[in-house]
Amino acid sequence: MANSELQLAIVQAETRRHFLRSLGSGIGTLFFGTSLAKYVAAANARGAEGSNLSFARDAATPLSLLPPQFPAKVRRVIYLHMAGAPSQLELFDYKPELKRLDGQDCPASFLAGKRFAFISGVPKLLGSQYPFKQAGKSGQWISDRLPYIAEHADEICFIKSMRTDQFNHAPAQLLVHTGNPRLGYPAFGSWVLYGLGTENQNLPGFIVLLSGGKSPDGGKQLWSSGFLPSVYQGVQCRSHGEPVLYLNNPPGVDRALRRTMLDTIDDIDRQTHTEFGNPETVTRIAQYEMAFRMQMDATDAMDIHKEPESVRARYGCKPVGSEFANNCLVARRLAERGVRFIQLYHWGWDSHGADAKEALNLGFNDRCREVDQPTGALLADLKERGLLEDTLLVWGGEFGRTPMRENRNGQEMKYVGRDHNPGAFTIWLAGGGVKPGITYGQTDEMGYEIVKDPVDIRDLHASMLYMLGFDYHKLTYSFQGLEQKLTSVKPARVIGEILA
Amino acid sequence: MELAFLMDGWAHRFGERYRAALFAFLPILLLFSLIIFFPPDGRERAQWIQFIGRFHPLAVHLPIALMLLVPVLELAGRWEKFAYLRLSSRFVLGLATIAASFAAFLGWCLARSGSYSGALVTQHMWGGVSLAVICWLGWSLRGRLVGPHAEKLYATTLTVGVLVVCWTGYRGGQVSQGEDHLTEYMPSPLRRVLGLSSAVPLVEAAPGSFYEVRVQPILAEHCASCHGTKRQKNNLRLDSYGWLMRGGKHGAVIKPGNLEGSDLFRRITLSPDSDDFMPKEKRQALSLDQRKTIELWISAGASGTLPLNAIKDLPAGVVAVAPIEVSFPQIDSATVAKARTEIASALRQLQDRFPNILNYESRGSADLVLNASLLGGKFGDTDLEALAPVAEHIVVADFSRTAVTDRAAPAIARMKHLRVLRLAETKITDRTLRSVSSLDQLRSLNVYGTGVTAAAFPFLEKLAKLEHFYAGRTSIQLGASVPQSLMGKLVL
Repeated sequence: MANSELQLAIVQAETRRHFLRSLGSGIGTLFFGTSLAKYVAAANARGAEGSNLSFARDAATPLSLLPPQFPAKVRRVIYLHMAGAPSQLELFDYKPELKRLDGQDCPASFLAGKRFAFISGVPKLLGSQYPFKQAGKSGQWISDRLPYIAEHADEICFIKSMRTDQFNHAPAQLLVHTGNPRLGYPAFGSWVLYGLGTENQNLPGFIVLLSGGKSPDGGKQLWSSGFLPSVYQGVQCRSHGEPVLYLNNPPGVDRALRRTMLDTIDDIDRQTHTEFGNPETVTRIAQYEMAFRMQMDATDAMDIHKEPESVRARYGCKPVGSEFANNCLVARRLAERGVRFIQLYHWGWDSHGADAKEALNLGFNDRCREVDQPTGALLADLKERGLLEDTLLVWGGEFGRTPMRENRNGQEMKYVGRDHNPGAFTIWLAGGGVKPGITYGQTDEMGYEIVKDPVDIRDLHASMLYMLGFDYHKLTYSFQGLEQKLTSVKPARVIGEILA
Repeated sequence: MELAFLMDGWAHRFGERYRAALFAFLPILLLFSLIIFFPPDGRERAQWIQFIGRFHPLAVHLPIALMLLVPVLELAGRWEKFAYLRLSSRFVLGLATIAASFAAFLGWCLARSGSYSGALVTQHMWGGVSLAVICWLGWSLRGRLVGPHAEKLYATTLTVGVLVVCWTGYRGGQVSQGEDHLTEYMPSPLRRVLGLSSAVPLVEAAPGSFYEVRVQPILAEHCASCHGTKRQKNNLRLDSYGWLMRGGKHGAVIKPGNLEGSDLFRRITLSPDSDDFMPKEKRQALSLDQRKTIELWISAGASGTLPLNAIKDLPAGVVAVAPIEVSFPQIDSATVAKARTEIASALRQLQDRFPNILNYESRGSADLVLNASLLGGKFGDTDLEALAPVAEHIVVADFSRTAVTDRAAPAIARMKHLRVLRLAETKITDRTLRSVSSLDQLRSLNVYGTGVTAAAFPFLEKLAKLEHFYAGRTSIQLGASVPQSLMGKLVL
């Protein structure tokens, strides 16, 4: 009764104006209903044809294996990031003309319209601090600082025309690893894990190892899963001591007791999930379970003392002070164990020349020594074991360095250094999927600007995804109304010229 | 007021007859101010001025004809029979003044609209303006001044006018047709009489010469769209050696052995924002390697017969690699589902038994990838035999560090589409390799850290597609025992 009274009251409250207003929007609705319907139908039809790949999985096994879109040359990635941006002019981009002009005033055309972090006034041109040699049958020019890497010149594909639009470390690193200079986007490793899952459910599929005494400027955001479910985020592990802190059982707790405890927590979590349906609860359950399994496997995988002394010596592992070497050896052990994405960061390449540690003639030398032998050993070891044929190894920084000597506040500095140059830098790739022993792209005679075949970060990403078996348009995740993808919205190009 | 009064008085003193003449000088003054304040600077301008300017070549012929007509009228009028002609010369001169001023204005429009600048244009421009002034002078003198000198002054004006017409017309022809447009096809005997260099027939480059193989492709890529068969900007063609060496309307663009004197090289190496830089209009500039190639060729004498290998220190990347575009394979889900039906149920059972190590190679195929190495010692010969229902679909199999032994060899041999087989750090021996030798699709075989010996080489020689044989940490050593067919494939 009350209900019909209410309806009557509502009807009586309707005025002529209400009627006219709803009439107007009603006509609009009619129009959209007829004219838009066909677009909606067309869009649905496209979806049904399988233009979007499905990455749907059982909520309890979010990391289960999914096949790539097409047969892949590469099944795992080892990414060696030299945080701070190593100077390509001291390592790979051989510029005899710059050496000839060493010490002369920088031409004005180099400075017009450019922003620098520290250079001011008119800086001097700075030739390479180290001699270059041709290496291998391919005759690639490599600095004498990297004799071990040079031994593998015929395995390496150099891209000497990388460019970025970020000239500060953190955003540039974010761009390299998440495809976006801002926070909140998933790392490359997270995308790969989301797209392919991982074979080894007892280890994280995306592992991060740090060395060099400092985290990269981009921080943990560099291996965050962004808007992807957090189960796909990178797991930072330590290369000595306990690999993952608080993973081991505390004194007095054995594995059986831990199991009982986890079962109880899982029960509660499941109830919570049925009640609220938050997928992050499932992530939490999966992570507890993984941690339980990892108690056995992670410790074993990270323990380089399980390797013979000869192998450790080859990588240059020492009792102290060889973190990068240890991490490289761990990387190989993880690759063998089916870890999908292994990310190393080695800090200390920001060679401004402001102090001895970051001077091209001092600290830079130490950095080269720290990474050269382990990188060369990793390449050799992967190759011998047949792992290199389906592993992609990437080595590089977040931007390049200027051919001008840094002159902070317009004054000559005590140590030799170079400022940031987002306009050109070198990254190299090796392993499955890339043509060995080639150089792609070219910079000018000063190594300052790209003159041939520029490669944007998104082009590199698109190419790496191609090697992993994906069309970069198709590895997507719906978020905020957009089919989000690693390469973001700008068109990218798969660099066909470097593909094997 | 004062000034106006003075002007008025001055005009009166000259008499009413001159007022029209003075008034006619105003457009010429305007022309002067246009040229002085807005000189042609080679910069592109808006469409109207361009559109109007294009009528300049059409309009110039009228003042030329009129200016040449006046002396004809004057001379012919000396005969009594044609005396009446002299009466019309004043009218013709007035017409010529208007036509010359108008043509000069159009000329300024054309020059101002861009793509015209330089000494030739400036000379032609001043020639045109002078002509307008001379026409006006002649018109003012004709029939107005009286006295002994007037006739002489008038005759001189006409003579100078005819000379200026000829000179300006020639300069104009040079601007539009090229600097040698009159002499280009002059017969050799006449050239010799005039002391001009004799015309050289076009010499073409030798087939397979350095020019043809290295230089011509660069010019074809970057220059020939404006300097080729379709368009010949500045009368310059760069689509063959002969045309290149002939040069354009400003003369030769290549001076053999002389880099500084070679205008072509100067222009391609300028800063891209320079007005003279080539190629123009934001077209792709020549790469450093290409510039270097042209530089070396000019320095070596810019010959059309220079052999291909005569220049040694060529930059490496001279021969450009064509860009390789990648296409993404399309998946036809119906075909895939059909191909998968026969193994689907068996695969599901196996995936339950071995979770996460067995899956399709890609979303578009029914081939399988297996990674048993993750199970380590828990995966043995019986497990391997359990894979039999899907064996022929497995294309990549990794049994490294498993408990697999020689007893599993027949089961491996049944995986006859295997491309990659990994048996690293297992107990297998040469006996397994003997069975494996029937796997004719095998590209990669890994026996790292096993008991395999050099005695297995004969089995491997049957594998026609084998690319890599990983045999590190075995008894196999690099040496004479390695057969020729395995050299380059063996990785230790």
